[in-house]
Amino acid sequence: MIQDLQSAADLAPAYDLVVVGAGPAGLSAAIEASTHGLAVLLADENESPGGQIYRSVERASDADLTRMGPDYAAGRRLIERFRGADLSYARRATVWSVGPADEETGDGTHALAVGISFGGIARPIAAHRVILATGALERPFPFPGWTMPGVMAAGAAQILMKSSGLVPSGRTILAGTGPLLYLLASQLLRAGVSVTAVIDTTPVENWRLALPHLLGFSASSYALKGLKLLLEVHRRTHVIRGVTAIEAVGSEQFSALLVRRGNKSLHIEGDLLLLHQGIAPNLNLTLAAGCDYVWDERLAAFRPAVDGRGASSVPAVSIAGDAAGIVGAVASARQGELAGLSAALDLNRIGHGVYEQRRAQHAQKLARALRGRTFIEHRFRPGKTFRVPEDDGTIICRCEEITAGKLREVAALGVPGPNQMKAFTRCGMGPCQGRLCGLTAVELLAQFRGVPPGEVGYYRLRPPIKPVTLGELAALPHTEAAILAVAGFVERAHDGAQDATHGRNQ
Amino acid sequence: MDYDVIVIGGGLVGVSIAWGLSRCGQRVAILDEGDLANRAARANFGLVWSSSKGLGNAAYSRWSRTSAAKWHQLAAELKSETGIDTGFVQSGGFSIRLTPMELERGIASMAKLAGQPGMEAEGTPPLEYEILDQAETRRRLPLVGETVAGAIYSPLDGHANPLRLFAGFHKALKQRGVHYFPHRKTTAIRHRAGAFEVAGEGWRLGGGKVVLAAGIGNTGLAPMVGLSVPLSPSRGQIIVTERLRPFLSHATGYLRQTDEGCVLIGESKEATIDHQRPRGPITAVLAERALRTFPLLRDARAVRTWAAFRVVTPDGYPIYEQSERFPGAFAFACHSGVTLAANHALVLPRQISARALSEDLSVFHSRRFHVPAAA
Repeated sequence: MIQDLQSAADLAPAYDLVVVGAGPAGLSAAIEASTHGLAVLLADENESPGGQIYRSVERASDADLTRMGPDYAAGRRLIERFRGADLSYARRATVWSVGPADEETGDGTHALAVGISFGGIARPIAAHRVILATGALERPFPFPGWTMPGVMAAGAAQILMKSSGLVPSGRTILAGTGPLLYLLASQLLRAGVSVTAVIDTTPVENWRLALPHLLGFSASSYALKGLKLLLEVHRRTHVIRGVTAIEAVGSEQFSALLVRRGNKSLHIEGDLLLLHQGIAPNLNLTLAAGCDYVWDERLAAFRPAVDGRGASSVPAVSIAGDAAGIVGAVASARQGELAGLSAALDLNRIGHGVYEQRRAQHAQKLARALRGRTFIEHRFRPGKTFRVPEDDGTIICRCEEITAGKLREVAALGVPGPNQMKAFTRCGMGPCQGRLCGLTAVELLAQFRGVPPGEVGYYRLRPPIKPVTLGELAALPHTEAAILAVAGFVERAHDGAQDATHGRNQ
Repeated sequence: MDYDVIVIGGGLVGVSIAWGLSRCGQRVAILDEGDLANRAARANFGLVWSSSKGLGNAAYSRWSRTSAAKWHQLAAELKSETGIDTGFVQSGGFSIRLTPMELERGIASMAKLAGQPGMEAEGTPPLEYEILDQAETRRRLPLVGETVAGAIYSPLDGHANPLRLFAGFHKALKQRGVHYFPHRKTTAIRHRAGAFEVAGEGWRLGGGKVVLAAGIGNTGLAPMVGLSVPLSPSRGQIIVTERLRPFLSHATGYLRQTDEGCVLIGESKEATIDHQRPRGPITAVLAERALRTFPLLRDARAVRTWAAFRVVTPDGYPIYEQSERFPGAFAFACHSGVTLAANHALVLPRQISARALSEDLSVFHSRRFHVPAAA
């Protein structure tokens, strides 16, 4: 049985393994590692396990399950296994830093330190191993009007549906590309929502790039499901394909979508616009941990550099699931198992024989689960103009309201990369720490310079990757050396003060 | 010869000098490294602060005070050239002292500083400061915590937005036609027939003069032109909060609210340049002291912390020098790139153009570190 931790006081000072994220990858990693006797903490931000895909699946009614489809319902079995595992679970907990143990406060045996905020209290936790299963983020979808009220991310709509059973009441338009767009359309239609239109922005030329991979795809589990989904959506609403540009209009509130298809224009009225153009690995924690990353042209996104077992460039830190590259729920679970198994091997809880045997099983299942991905990636890769808006007035950074024009102005100064661009404009400095603008800003700069995004690089991320109150930070352990470094001397009640050893006179 | 002056280093020191040189009519090029170079210009705290500086070196106190006084002119000129407001405010700064012992030490150190010979000079604003007891501190800063022991206030001090200052210089340089070359790490500087050739991987550039403003990188570059820039390792760490409603218009020594609303909390000094990861214990102490200073910050959310390396010489004072073997080669190294930006932009460039550093700056030559070891 899992231990459902209630407060920071229930946290142990150290664990063999800390897993971050309770989606398919994190749950599977935690289960696998605990099976082999590791002391595991799984920390997750949400109320209940499941991640984005299986959000609230335990509480779902039969009607919910029918509406959301069989892939959603499948989460129940995984969560049941998780509930039966021998590990600690901290829900509504935020992991805001991961990195090598501090040179001063580290215990000398645990390689890593994890900063966690749980029930309003921040704690440092020592760990031998960390598996980051932080999932994916919806890719930014910047076009004129995308930040106005009445326009929202499809993922956010899905969260409302899954966690509160809330569905949109007005005329709803969906726009974008990717399988999840059609999945959401079908879920909304089944829930009785008035879906006026699905505006498909998938570039027409994607077919040509995807075609060579059609065979692999048609043999995958995605093919039949995808086809059924497409047919269902096409039958029940108006689908407009080959869209080349969109603009949301309205006075203070979204009222219509202007759609361009080549040289034809359409005006579609609606009350709510839901956007989706694929997902990208959620990198903030992995980058803040110092993990190397690469540009993945097929995903049109950065992903952490990992080996076949999910090991990152930072010793003892592994990454599994969509956080390491978009692979979907089933493959994520397999990657999680592999990472959990590797942790057990690294910590000598299993021998090489057991490891190899199980690894081979997992690897085989993983390969099967990955079938068809290449086709999907090529087929639904969002077009360049939807990734980097040509219109200079379009907002890129929502937190700081920085437009594409402002970024181009600064790019023209010759900024060496996105971090200098950020310093000059504040793009990416807000509470989201670049989650909503990072990809766009980097691609814009790369386009401006005529180099691949990989050459431009990404934001340097620092803890806390999610906001933490000063009150919480202040209550973290202090050391004498740290006081000396900040105050210049340490006051002691009995024998006066001890001074810092180096100059503070400038 | 491609340029009159090649400035190596695109950080705050480099761009302020380059801008000043351009104002002097010099043809200037700036060589810079990549996006993730050690760049104090993107990590600094943003004080324009002079009152407490120069204990043990009156010339440094004067140099800091003249620069702070020239900041108005710098801010105005940059604004009119670029439209960028550097957010400079010189409304006086508080050095807040949390305990009686901290206050006592602060008072003693200010008395010693003020009593040094050579503190006054024509054209330098006199050092003015006030000692505020607990009650007076609370009267002037009603939001300070109850345990704050007192403060030292000086009307000379203030703050600016260092990132907008940095961006402003870059924009002005672009408008002036100064050539900026990022991704060019200098690996060699050669002296040929009274001029310099600066080179890196696959490129070279000729200039009549060369200015080393590469921060920590100067240590390696200086010997190429007969100069010396010894530095001591120093790492600082800062916490920044989300935007808050304005509550503090004055700068304090370790906590200020930017004109955008964020609160910056710094700064620590650790004698290391091992890594740039923010350390938990330092974050904790910074936050704890910030809350003792302004308890209303308890629920303010920190969005980011960072650590960066300072450019600090062994005695903490800057280096300004011209090579005797290769005249026309200059090396500059200082920690307070924001405070000193006005001098670097408005005073130093004339001297570089004339190939002669003023007598006032001779005290900042690195020869002060070349003390022969005792036999």
